[in-house]
Amino acid sequence: MEKFAKAFPSKPLPSKTAKPWALAGVVGSGNLEVLLERGGKPSNAMECHVETSIPGYKAAWLAALSDFAHHYAAGGTKVTINDQGAPPVLVTLRLRQAYDHLIKGDK
Amino acid sequence: MITAKTAKRRENKTERIARVGKLARGKFVAPEKVPEVLRRIVEPGDILCLEGDNQKQADFLANQLATLGKKDLRDIHLVMSCITLPAHIELFRKGMIKQVDFCYAGPQGTAVADLVKAKKFPVGAIHTYNELFARFYVDLTPRVALVAAAQADRKGNLYLAANTEDTPAVVEPTAFSDGIVFAQVNEIVDRIPHIDIPADQVDFIVQAPYPMHLQALFTRDPAAITEVQVLMAMVALRGIYEKYEVQSLNHGVGFNTAAIELLLPTYGERLGLKGKICKHWVVNPLPTMIPAIETGWVESVFAFGGEVGMERYTAARSDVFFTGRDGGFHSNRPMGQLAGLYGIDMFIGASLQIDINGNSSTVSKNRITGYGGAPNMGCQPTGRRHPSKSWLKAGAEANPGPGTSPGRKLVVQMVETFQAGRVPTFVEELDAHEPSIRKALHGVTPVMIYGDDVTHIVTEEGIANLAACRSVAERQAAIRAVAGYTPVGLKRKKRETEDLRARGIVQLPEDVGVRPSEASRSLLATQDIKGLVRWSNGLYDPPSQFVDW
Repeated sequence: MEKFAKAFPSKPLPSKTAKPWALAGVVGSGNLEVLLERGGKPSNAMECHVETSIPGYKAAWLAALSDFAHHYAAGGTKVTINDQGAPPVLVTLRLRQAYDHLIKGDK
Repeated sequence: MITAKTAKRRENKTERIARVGKLARGKFVAPEKVPEVLRRIVEPGDILCLEGDNQKQADFLANQLATLGKKDLRDIHLVMSCITLPAHIELFRKGMIKQVDFCYAGPQGTAVADLVKAKKFPVGAIHTYNELFARFYVDLTPRVALVAAAQADRKGNLYLAANTEDTPAVVEPTAFSDGIVFAQVNEIVDRIPHIDIPADQVDFIVQAPYPMHLQALFTRDPAAITEVQVLMAMVALRGIYEKYEVQSLNHGVGFNTAAIELLLPTYGERLGLKGKICKHWVVNPLPTMIPAIETGWVESVFAFGGEVGMERYTAARSDVFFTGRDGGFHSNRPMGQLAGLYGIDMFIGASLQIDINGNSSTVSKNRITGYGGAPNMGCQPTGRRHPSKSWLKAGAEANPGPGTSPGRKLVVQMVETFQAGRVPTFVEELDAHEPSIRKALHGVTPVMIYGDDVTHIVTEEGIANLAACRSVAERQAAIRAVAGYTPVGLKRKKRETEDLRARGIVQLPEDVGVRPSEASRSLLATQDIKGLVRWSNGLYDPPSQFVDW
C-alpha cells in the first residue's frame, strides 16, 4: 500500500462540461478506478490523490499524471485514484476515459 | 552428353536406392523399417532437410531419425525451416549434426539457447524463410529430404491438404538435383483429391502410424483481448489504415491485430471504411477474421499455411480463399512470403523488445527463437517498382532523396509499453546483443525488424511516425514519446514531445479522432470463440483447447 498526493500545472477546464464528475474503471484486482471532479482549486492545476496496492512506482505515477495534466486542459479538477495493481498500460487509458466522460458525457 | 559430375551425382543416388533393396516394396516402406532405410540412404556430410514447417511436422520421420546414433549417422548438415520438436533437439544432443541452417525455433527456443551455451549447436545462419528457400537452390540443396504429406496414392503422388506450406519448396530442388525424397503420409489411398507433388519427384513413402503433428498457431481467443488492445486497434485503424487507405496487408498473430480484425465490422463500418481498406490479405486463415469476411470486407486471402479447424469454413468461402477444384485449401509458404515482401501495402506485428532506435527482437538471454518470416514482410524491399496509393503516400512522408525509392511499405510495430509482469517492452539496448548469442551467429545480432524499416510504432500512448523523422535524434525522441512510463519513456522531454506532436509525428488517440471512452470490449464483433463459431454459421471447428462449452 502506498498513498501520495500532488498537484500539476494544467490549462483550465472548459467552462462548461457535460458532467460535474466522472468515473472510469472499477476497484478490482488488476484494475483501477479514476474519479475526476470539477471544483478543484486553483483553476490552473490538477490536484491528484493516489492510493495504490503496489508500492514502489511513485515516479511512474507522477510522470503519468504530469503528462496528462500537460496534454489535457484539466486545471481545476480533483483526481482520485484507487489502484488494485492495474497494469501500467491501463492508467492513462482510465484517465482519458474519465476526462472524456467529464467533457462529453457518457454517450 | 552427360558430364562426369552429373553422372557421379546420379550414380550416387542409384547406389543409395540400391542399398535399400528389399527393405522397400517399390516406393513403399513399412514403418518399422524406417530407421534402417534412413541409415542406408543418408551419408556422412549430407545436407539433410527434415521438414519442420511453422505448422506441420514430418514428426514420424524425425522420431525415427532420432532413434539412430552417431555411429549410424554423423556429420549431418541439417537444413530446416523450424526446429519445433523434442526429436529435433535430440539430434544435436547425440552429436549427429555438424551444421544447422534454419529459420525459427519458437517452441524449442529455450532448448536451443541451452545447446548454444553448451556449444552443441553449430549454426551456419538463422535465416528468414525466403532466404533459406532461396539457398535450397543455390548452396544448400538437400541431398535427402524427409517431408510430410496428408495422403499418397498407389503411384506415389502426394496430396498436401491445407498445410501445403514448405513441401514444394523442399521437394523441387531435391528431386531435380538427384537427391532423395522420402515422404511420411497420414494415409495411402486409391485416389487423392488433387496432386500437389507428382510421383516422379518422390522416392520413398511411409504411412506413419500416427497423423503428422500440426501446431494450432493462429487461433486467438477474443475473450483474452483487453480494453487497452481495443484502444490501440482503434488508434491504428484511424491513424494508419484510414489515413493511408491500406488495401493489402499482412497481420501478425497477436491479440493486438486480432482486435483490429474484430473491429472492422463494428467500428470500421461506422467510420465508413468498408470497401476502402483491408481488401487483400496475405495471412493464414485466422479465425478472428471470420466476422470481417462474413460482412463482406475481404476480397482475397492468400496463406502461408492452414489453421486447425478452419478447413470447412475455407472450403465454403472459396470465393475468398485459394482452394483447389476439390474445395481443399491451398497454401504455400515461399509464395506467401514473396507476396508479403513485394505485394502488400502494410505489415503490422508485435514484438517483445524495441530499442530506442526502433530495432525489435524476440530474443532474450535464455531463449533464441529465430526469425520465421516476419523480416520478409517487415522490411522495405528496395527492389519494388509498382506503386500503390499507400506506398506513394508513405514514401512522400519519408521525403525520399535522389537515388532512393519513391515509395515506402508501411511497417508497423504495435506493442503495449509493458509486457506481462511489468516487463518494459522499450529498452535502451536489446537482449539480442548478448555476446554469446552474437558469437554463435558469427557476429550477427538477431534483430527481427530493423528500425530503419519501421514506419510507425503504435502503443497505448499513441502513434510515432518514424518515417517522418528527419534525424536519428528525432526518431529516438518520437520513440520515447510513445514508450509510456518505461525507463525509456521516462527520459523524454516535454518540449520535444510537444514539438513532435505539433508536427504530427507523434499523435495521441484524440489527435486521430479516437474517443478513449469508446474503447471497450463490447466494440468487438464477438467476445469469444463460441461467437466465432456462430459468425461462421457453424463451419469453424475450434481446436479442443479453445472449447469450453
